[in-house]
Amino acid sequence: MKERIGVYICYCGGNISDYVNVNKVKDSVKDEDGVVLAKTTVFACSDSSQKEMISDIIENKLDGIVVASCSPKLHLHTFRSVAERAGLNPYEYVQVNIREQDSWAHSDKPEEATEKAIRLVRAGIRRLREAQPLLPNEISVTDSVAVIGGGASGMRAAIELADTGLEVYLIEKEHFLGGRIPQWGELFETNERGDILIEKLYNEIIKRNNIKIFTGTEVESFSGCVGNFNLEVKIKPRYVKSGIECNEFEKIEEGCPVEVDDEFNFGLTKRKAIYKFYKNAYPDLPAVDFENCTKCGLCEKLCPDAFDFNQKEEKLALKVGAVILTTGFSPYEPSEGEYGYKKNDKVITLQQLRRIMELSNGNLKWKGKEVKEIAFIYCVGSRQKSGENKYCSRYCCTAAIHTSLLLKKKYPYIRSYHLFRDIRTYGKQEILYRDSCKQGDIYLKFDENEPPVVEDLNNRAIVKVKDLLTEREEIEIEPDLVVLVTGMIPRKNSEIERIFKVPVGRDNFFNEIHPKLRPVETVIDGVFIAGTGQGPKNLTESILSSLSAAAKTYSLLSSGTLKLEPIVAFVDSERCKWCGDCAEVCLYDAIEKENQDGKEIAVVNEALCKGCGSCVPVCESRAIEIKGYTNKEIIGMIDGMLEEVR
Amino acid sequence: MRERKEGGLPPKILVFSTNSISDPGIDLAGLLKMHYPPTVYTITVPCSSGINPDWIIYALKKGFDGVFIAADGSDCPYREDCSQLTARIVLSSQERAKEMGIDPSRIKMAAVCSVCAESFVNHMKKFSEALKKLKENTNESGGKNVSS
Amino acid sequence: MFHLEYDVLVIGGGIAGQETALNLADMGFKVIMIEKEPSIGGKMILLSKVFPTLDCASCIATPKMSETMRHENIEVLSYSEVTSIERIDKKFKVKILKKPKYVREDLCTGCQECEANCPVNVEDQFNFGLVGRRAVYIPFSTAIPKTAVIDIENCILCGVCERVCPANAIDFTQEPECYTLKVKAVVLATGFNLFPARRKPQYGFGKFPNVMDAMEMDRLLSPTRPYNAVVRPLDGKIPENIAYVLCTGSRDVSVGNPICSQICCMYSIKQAQLLMGALPLADITIYYIDIRAFGKGFEEFYQQAKDMGVQFVKGKVAKIEEIKETGNLIVRYEDMEGSGGVKEAEHDLVVLSVGMLANTGITSIFKYEDLELDEYNYVKQADALLSPAKTNLKGVFAAGTATGPKDIPDSILSAGAASAEVAAYIRSLK
Repeated sequence: MKERIGVYICYCGGNISDYVNVNKVKDSVKDEDGVVLAKTTVFACSDSSQKEMISDIIENKLDGIVVASCSPKLHLHTFRSVAERAGLNPYEYVQVNIREQDSWAHSDKPEEATEKAIRLVRAGIRRLREAQPLLPNEISVTDSVAVIGGGASGMRAAIELADTGLEVYLIEKEHFLGGRIPQWGELFETNERGDILIEKLYNEIIKRNNIKIFTGTEVESFSGCVGNFNLEVKIKPRYVKSGIECNEFEKIEEGCPVEVDDEFNFGLTKRKAIYKFYKNAYPDLPAVDFENCTKCGLCEKLCPDAFDFNQKEEKLALKVGAVILTTGFSPYEPSEGEYGYKKNDKVITLQQLRRIMELSNGNLKWKGKEVKEIAFIYCVGSRQKSGENKYCSRYCCTAAIHTSLLLKKKYPYIRSYHLFRDIRTYGKQEILYRDSCKQGDIYLKFDENEPPVVEDLNNRAIVKVKDLLTEREEIEIEPDLVVLVTGMIPRKNSEIERIFKVPVGRDNFFNEIHPKLRPVETVIDGVFIAGTGQGPKNLTESILSSLSAAAKTYSLLSSGTLKLEPIVAFVDSERCKWCGDCAEVCLYDAIEKENQDGKEIAVVNEALCKGCGSCVPVCESRAIEIKGYTNKEIIGMIDGMLEEVR
Repeated sequence: MRERKEGGLPPKILVFSTNSISDPGIDLAGLLKMHYPPTVYTITVPCSSGINPDWIIYALKKGFDGVFIAADGSDCPYREDCSQLTARIVLSSQERAKEMGIDPSRIKMAAVCSVCAESFVNHMKKFSEALKKLKENTNESGGKNVSS
Repeated sequence: MFHLEYDVLVIGGGIAGQETALNLADMGFKVIMIEKEPSIGGKMILLSKVFPTLDCASCIATPKMSETMRHENIEVLSYSEVTSIERIDKKFKVKILKKPKYVREDLCTGCQECEANCPVNVEDQFNFGLVGRRAVYIPFSTAIPKTAVIDIENCILCGVCERVCPANAIDFTQEPECYTLKVKAVVLATGFNLFPARRKPQYGFGKFPNVMDAMEMDRLLSPTRPYNAVVRPLDGKIPENIAYVLCTGSRDVSVGNPICSQICCMYSIKQAQLLMGALPLADITIYYIDIRAFGKGFEEFYQQAKDMGVQFVKGKVAKIEEIKETGNLIVRYEDMEGSGGVKEAEHDLVVLSVGMLANTGITSIFKYEDLELDEYNYVKQADALLSPAKTNLKGVFAAGTATGPKDIPDSILSAGAASAEVAAYIRSLK
């Protein structure tokens, strides 16, 4: 118990002393138990006053100080640092708020305000009497990071992290890196090609020997806490050996008898059981789709050294200090019949159109017929009135308009209709919209309650739309292609959600701690989110967020150690009878059962505990408390507030 | 003091507030010079889901006329179900109060956000009035003055 | 204390500058931040609440500001300007001018005694002229550093402040100070300018008292608001029928700003929701071209406003006229949905949702090399898709709205990206 306490009552210019009789407060508390010094000060926060406190503490061998001034939100850290500079523990200091919650709130009743100040200061003294010095729990951290998801965001984050000196594990579920970006061809606003950008990133990655690429790899389990996580990954065999010279892959691919839907081209084409997503996909080595392989042996015959069908699934344990989830998005898949999708031959998605543009030579053809008119229908799978995707997918307006500009450049005869709700070409993207209007694209606005209808008439697609801009006149178009501008949904990764326990929002994207100021952090310390897994984004925005996550990760791990907030729960092992109630209520898995000398008790993992205290009221045996908010401290405060003021 | 002569001691209220949500809201009331009864005292904790019912009961037994929990509500930085957990604490405290012959309406809870200055002040005024009435009734019916 | 060498110079103390500085400081780099205003905080600290969370802006901004101020690796120079940057080998030589506050920051405690006694009254720039301030003043109640500054242009040198200051902090002998220091990297977090509504004379801003811009409305709605109420400037009447004119100065070739400002739709929807709360009886109409609710949670926020009863009218506003007797306004707009043609509607208060313009002037500080700007005068991103924080100058990066319109989360992300790229760049120098 503290016996040598110093108390400072602040005038705050006149902010406090105009209403509260600070000298009366000082006189009323100077004889409280444990108080050896009580003073008033014009400005407690001023430099001179801070210096005075420091010398008081040293000269009078004070074991704690109480400052009664403004709200702790303003100066808690100021005075904690005063205590620290004078050799005390920063928690051997209590701030009492007699400004915001007293002099100002009761400026109409100075006498009562003074009485309240006395009681509040007394409560502060009682609390300090019971306070214990608290030390931040310092742990050493592993200087490596796992980036889960090898699309553009993940690759970019990996490069940045490697440049800061950390060891990076880049983990990709597919056999090839790059994610969605190579599927696009030219990207707005610079018209660089997606596959070329990925090639650039890949070349940067292999230049750095502190990035390890794991393709065909999924996360199996995740445990530990910030700074020291354990990650277990499962690596699918590729069945093709790296480093073996084989010039026959093209021939092998040609000869492979298997044909399955090519997922990279959204099922528009077929691929073989030995495959690459696209010609310059990386790592530059084909993979064998073993599930669909007929084991005919042709490939092995042509290039015996390059294959190894004895490869087994491998498991690997990784130790990492932090994790960045860059698991990306999938295009919304319209349901069968949605605007005629999958019922009408002429209805495709924007993503499919982009693949068709990439794959066609000469004129743009679909099902053998030349395409001259296209109708884009916007907001498919986004801003749904009745469906579950209430959100706007952000990138699709500009993506569709950019596509229409590219079409016009390549096939000047093509006419585009845009059936939209609001055109959301925010920022500089607006220029693309203007260009599209200038080139003669036709914009028709539909009401969310009266979406366009795609009718199937003897293999023709008739699109009917009531245009709000011409007094709801019904307009009929018969395009050669109906393109559904589909939004983004998070990549199917329920396993990742389950394994990492990162909460998702109503939109099913990962939830950040705070959407405004902390967009890449999650409630799990040391687990960051970036790219489109957190919400729809275009490439630039994804890269911004992945670099942000890299910055946060490096800040976290750069010093090699981590100081954890000392306000955490602790257990009285004598009282605890382990009922598990505390562990059950804890959201952060911070409480575990432990056997101590034959007795089962709860123990707190201080690295996981956030100090919320939810465990305190549920404990029947009153065995668990929060440091800095112990029973003794709170009861002391209540007593201090209630004793009569003489 | 004047008020004491007129109608006995004004009710003492203990408020449990939270560091990042409701306490800034209470601070804001002061910043805007909004007035509420000066017999309101605040103890700040990290999260309203961590308030021990023992403290509530202790405060009431020792002389507080009412305990008000300024809960985090949906703004809670720790957990989404904060309101439910806090409500559970209030309910169990009210149960215990009842068993001990303490009127359970002396325990109250409401969410106070970080800018809810006005609503906090209104809560305090209303609660103080209600407690005053409760006290008068108790006194009239010959009950013991809880504050003495 | 002040040093002659730092790792990074961050120009601008708004939310992007703070985030960049804090990230870098947390990584162990020494940062110097230069802010031209007497307080850091930029535009965000002056806002009421932020969309779509409706968090109070100062509640979430002040902790970051004080963290910036307190961080042992960050030195903040407020009321200061960078006058030149010159590349010397792998470093930059930076010249800084610190303007005199005529108040000693080490002594001032922010007690406001001086303010209470100063006889001068001038327009308060941090409240956008809605109220007055003194010649000696604390910029705003959440200012950091919370110290006074004397506006010497308006000061009458009466000496009252000097006499009443309990801390003896007033010092009329202060002179501008020049510093020269060396840094390894520079981050431009210079922010944006609001579109001056006077540049759309047909909307009558500055002429009709009841036409205000959205920043003024945000001040009226903020917790540190000047009147503690939302009132019409003309007569203090509580408005009952408020109109918002979106795209004021954005998507508008006639004012030379063809791009979209990205924030105005959402902040207008935010203000509409706040007004619905403050003035439950008021009708609110938003005149828009497209509602661009594109960010996370934005569309839901827009739908919520519709459900609350905010009227959305697709229409370009051509002209605003005043009815002399009442001070009410006639908004003439092209009705793009409904029956079409030009229509008129009467409102008793009109808020112009002004957009963003590039903060120019930053280019001139670079000596012997040119910082490249884009056609809208924002700092040009040298590799927009893969390294969005890079400028054309090696070692010079950009964060926040310096490169184009952004809302707060996007500014935060771009600041994060800038700090990551700076860290990698400085490491590459070794």
